[in-house]
Amino acid sequence: MHIMEGFLPHPWWEIWFAISAVIVIFGIYKLSKLTKKFPEAKPLLAVMGAFIFVLSALKLPSVTGSCSHPTGSGLAAVVLGPAIASVLSTIVLLFQALLLAHGGLTTLGANIFSMGIVGPFVGYALWIASKKARVPTSAGVFLAVALADLSTYVTTSVQLALAFPGTSFADSFITFGSIFAVTQIPLAIGEGILAIFLFDFLAKYKGKLLSSMNVIGLRVGSQSSEDAE
Amino acid sequence: MSHVKLSAEIDRYAYTNALSKSSPTTKLFLALSLLLLSVMSPSPIVPISIFLTSTVLLLSFAKIPCRFYLRLLWYPIIIVAVTCVIIAFFFGYQEPFTEVNLLGLKWTVFKDGITLGFTTFFRVLGALSSQFFLVLTTPMTSIILILRKARVPKVLIETSLLIYRYIFVFSEVMETMHIAQDLRLGYSGWLKKLRSMSMLIGNLFIRTLEQGERTFTAMNARGYDGNIRVLEDQPKPSKTALAAITLFTVALAIAAYLTMNIRIV
Repeated sequence: MHIMEGFLPHPWWEIWFAISAVIVIFGIYKLSKLTKKFPEAKPLLAVMGAFIFVLSALKLPSVTGSCSHPTGSGLAAVVLGPAIASVLSTIVLLFQALLLAHGGLTTLGANIFSMGIVGPFVGYALWIASKKARVPTSAGVFLAVALADLSTYVTTSVQLALAFPGTSFADSFITFGSIFAVTQIPLAIGEGILAIFLFDFLAKYKGKLLSSMNVIGLRVGSQSSEDAE
Repeated sequence: MSHVKLSAEIDRYAYTNALSKSSPTTKLFLALSLLLLSVMSPSPIVPISIFLTSTVLLLSFAKIPCRFYLRLLWYPIIIVAVTCVIIAFFFGYQEPFTEVNLLGLKWTVFKDGITLGFTTFFRVLGALSSQFFLVLTTPMTSIILILRKARVPKVLIETSLLIYRYIFVFSEVMETMHIAQDLRLGYSGWLKKLRSMSMLIGNLFIRTLEQGERTFTAMNARGYDGNIRVLEDQPKPSKTALAAITLFTVALAIAAYLTMNIRIV
């Protein structure tokens, strides 16, 4: 979903920058609060970030000035909350632009908005909703991560369609969206399944830290941290 | 897989290129002004000259091997070219330019579609090459140090430095595990490939998290207080270089203004 450097024309990249900046600044505030309270969460944060980097480097090209790949930011949102996930995605997207020339500096704002803001917030909302509805944890994780991934791509299609409307916004949106859908729907399902395994591992191994960070419900957390001990 | 390896290669060039000793502030200033110019420019003329400028700077001043530069460029260029052909064909609607026969279907191509396709292609080319200039001549740590001087919040800098480190830890572990799986024929079929891939990603996460915790313990044992201190002995930017870049930028901006109304067809 990384929109390539220079692909977005003049008013659009600034607009996405401005929108993203507000939320990322809020995320930085949350992040500094979290690391003050739980310094031991720092390696988890860094590993999450590097993990997003590696996952979204496994890319398939897509002929929309962009590409398809797993995003990884859905899991980060479930574990760390959407605001912090957006900060991690910002750092990762900057590194991808600078270390891989994947995505770009001017398109950073648009990419942050789709992968770092819409994806995590959709994922987190679904995660909370499925916890409230008492859906099994693994199903909740799957839904959250798979739909976070898909919503990221829907957002990218909207951004591309707004920048290149052609005859009408709707036509252009359908063109971009259907090109993405071919590669992205299987990838989103794959990422969701992978996230179930990863989350299970995290709950077993880091249950105590996660439940003290109020990520997983006490029921899951206390039971699994006993397992780990 | 290869993409993660590519980042290690780009990182190496950033430290070893012939311009690595010159001031990172100057390089960042030049790259960002070229980037902004090519993105803001309404006609393809200025992006083309920016592409030529940064290519010359990279190949003959920074001494980046031509083959490596081409390897970086060809992949995005092909994707953007295909995309721009699509834009040229499907996104025009004003004056018709020509009609083509697409599998028995008559398809009208419009003039503004072609102009949009061309402009987008060269805008991406100019922007990409100035991004490559920054990436291949300036090490990540220098960029992070500039960000630190620009008063970016401490927690952000620290997390960035840790993530930067873990990217390479990840890619080393990933490489080792990938070779081990490959030797045991883990990638010999489509289904096996999928299974091996998910095993790899899952284990990668576990291994690096453990390693991350050990690093954190080691850092704490050495008196880590939330600040990662890096030796800051970066060369100072020369005033003449900055002035020259400003002049060049202004000249290009004027050129962009003058060529504003050029149309391809």
